[in-house]
Amino acid sequence: MRTNDLIFRTTTSLIAFILLGFSFYLLLAGHNAPGGGFIGGLMTAAAILLMYMAYGFEAIRKIIPVNFKMVIPTGLFIAVLTGIGSFVFDQPFLSQTYGHFHLPILGDVELATAMIFDLGVYLTVVGVTLTIMLTIANDS
Amino acid sequence: MEHELSPLLETVVIICIVGISISIFILLYRVLKGPTNPDRAVALDTIGINLMALAGLLAIFLVTTQFNDVILLIGILLFIGTIAIAKFLEKGVIIDRDHN
Amino acid sequence: MSNIAVLPILIPLVAGIITIFFHKKIKAVRFFAKLVTLLNLGVAVWIGYYVIQNGTVVLETGDWVAPYGIVMVADRLAIFLVITTNIIATACVFFAQHSLSLKQEQFYFYTFYFLLITGVSGAFLTGDLFNLFVFYEVLLMASYGLVILGGERVQLRESLKYVLLNLFSSMLFVTTVAFLYSVVGTINMAQIAQRVQEVEQTGILTTIGIVLFFVFATKGAIFPLYFWLPKSYIVPNTVVSALFGALLTKVGIYSILRTFTLMFTNDTGVTHELFIWLAALSMLFGVIGALSTNNIKLIIAYNIIPAVGFMLMGIGLLNDAGISGSVYYLIHDMIIKAALFLMVGALAYLAGTSDLTKMKGMIHHYPLLGWMFFIGSLVLAGIPPFSGFIGKLLLLRGGIEEERFVIVVIGLLTSLLILLSMMRIFMRGFWGEKPDIKVQPKQARKLMMPAVFLLTLSIILGIGAEWFYPHVDTITTELLDQGSYIDSVLKE
Repeated sequence: MRTNDLIFRTTTSLIAFILLGFSFYLLLAGHNAPGGGFIGGLMTAAAILLMYMAYGFEAIRKIIPVNFKMVIPTGLFIAVLTGIGSFVFDQPFLSQTYGHFHLPILGDVELATAMIFDLGVYLTVVGVTLTIMLTIANDS
Repeated sequence: MEHELSPLLETVVIICIVGISISIFILLYRVLKGPTNPDRAVALDTIGINLMALAGLLAIFLVTTQFNDVILLIGILLFIGTIAIAKFLEKGVIIDRDHN
Repeated sequence: MSNIAVLPILIPLVAGIITIFFHKKIKAVRFFAKLVTLLNLGVAVWIGYYVIQNGTVVLETGDWVAPYGIVMVADRLAIFLVITTNIIATACVFFAQHSLSLKQEQFYFYTFYFLLITGVSGAFLTGDLFNLFVFYEVLLMASYGLVILGGERVQLRESLKYVLLNLFSSMLFVTTVAFLYSVVGTINMAQIAQRVQEVEQTGILTTIGIVLFFVFATKGAIFPLYFWLPKSYIVPNTVVSALFGALLTKVGIYSILRTFTLMFTNDTGVTHELFIWLAALSMLFGVIGALSTNNIKLIIAYNIIPAVGFMLMGIGLLNDAGISGSVYYLIHDMIIKAALFLMVGALAYLAGTSDLTKMKGMIHHYPLLGWMFFIGSLVLAGIPPFSGFIGKLLLLRGGIEEERFVIVVIGLLTSLLILLSMMRIFMRGFWGEKPDIKVQPKQARKLMMPAVFLLTLSIILGIGAEWFYPHVDTITTELLDQGSYIDSVLKE
């Protein structure tokens, strides 16, 4: 019997965006509330995986032409660079700082350097999760 | 943490937590025993829903809003997991190699 | 300036990440890996010089004050071991391209290699028990990657054992740290040391100490937890065996040395007594294993176990001579084990077999390798004036001072048997009539250079003991005086 995933695909196009937005929220909220790079990355990976399940391997590879294996070292590199940054400012390794900035539209925002570290973690988790998932899924 | 929980609500929450915990155990039996794979899939899905309920009840019990994200997270992961299992049962493959 | 303490961890970490980006361009990766390793060695030596001049360097990461944040402590022992690690890393990175196939090299060998160095250096430098666990995991992850490099059937079988055992001991490690935290309320090593003296719960602390010892003993391959070691160390490529044999077990021994001189000295009657007996059994069983086989790689791998026994004996004795013997032996053994693994790997490659019964007369074709191996055997067995002798002399003197003659006799006997096991390789593999094999002098020279480098250092370590011993003596004084470590970390 030939099945189709019409309902699945329609909901995916809606849900994947909500998931990506939520994952981004988690990444940003991570500094002072539950969340952070790890869980944000996991959510993004979940969203991308959902798209993979709905539309198949080839279609998504055209839409997101990213080699997820290379996302891992990029993320690691960003995370390590935040540590190295403390060498430049002559602070102990992994020191962090924050400040309040006035941004257009958003108003007064607190930005912390720990955020950049979280971004590194985020990319690493996305890379690792998707690499593992896609390797297992293609292994037959 | 400003509000104290009223004694009635506290009792109700504890009874609910116990009830849901028991139902998780019963569902676990279904997951292990379940004669067919769809049975297991449904049981796993229901365990997840119960976990969400448990997190919600804990949030009421501890008078905190910090668990709201957690509930949402469990829900999302559960959704994707269930879809993956369902697709596997239906088609035998989770990610299609090439799209026709 | 305190930031320098993290450099030996940071440099290989960054290098490991960068090598992922262009892992297919093997020539560039090779050059980059050699360059970074030499740079790292230079930096480590510089930090060593700085530590000798200015005393222990303590880095409080993220500017969190000592007992609350994670500290990196570069004291003399740690930095000497980091320098030794980097010396071995240098030899191995120059050996790697001749020993690995192109496919293996491209399959992230250099990434795993750098992460292994990161983990080992981190384990030496950290001043926090949970952080020690983290670095253990870093080096174990890298070692899992290295042990299956190549992916042959026998490798997968042995590495499964290796992975399962290490996962179990890691689990035990975290549990023990949690127990310790529940008793003393801290995971900062210096503060644990301080609190262990104050808390009057000797029984539970001794139990925790012994469980922690068994965790480290699993990594360090001490009797009765050595069974996984020999086979899983010989299945990977030679350069990987050399890295493992020289570094991984030594991290376990270092951890025992650190924890049982700094923290758990409250009940030496139980813990350190246990060490001496386990040391004796490790020596005997290890050397019997070495005598029982004809596989040259396996002989060297089995010889790790008695060496570990010798170091454990010094820790068990817990006196001046014993500890300095252990420290000396630790550094000596790291270098000579790497050298011997590389030489045996070269021998097996040139002879085309690692079975002693099928090998003969290699000295006719490769005289330099033969005589180098002979010297290496003497160094390992502890014949004067080489470095093994000084370490053993100190250990045996420590044993006699404590009037533990049984262990001294076992130690001497083991040394003889080690020499016998090594001479078996020399006599059967190198002596005998000229074999008709294809001679590859050019390849042999390339394979031998790293081993020559390590062996020279090992000989210098023995003959130049006059220069080196005062540092070991200072390390011993620092180790036995817990106050100095606590003061330098907690700054009271």
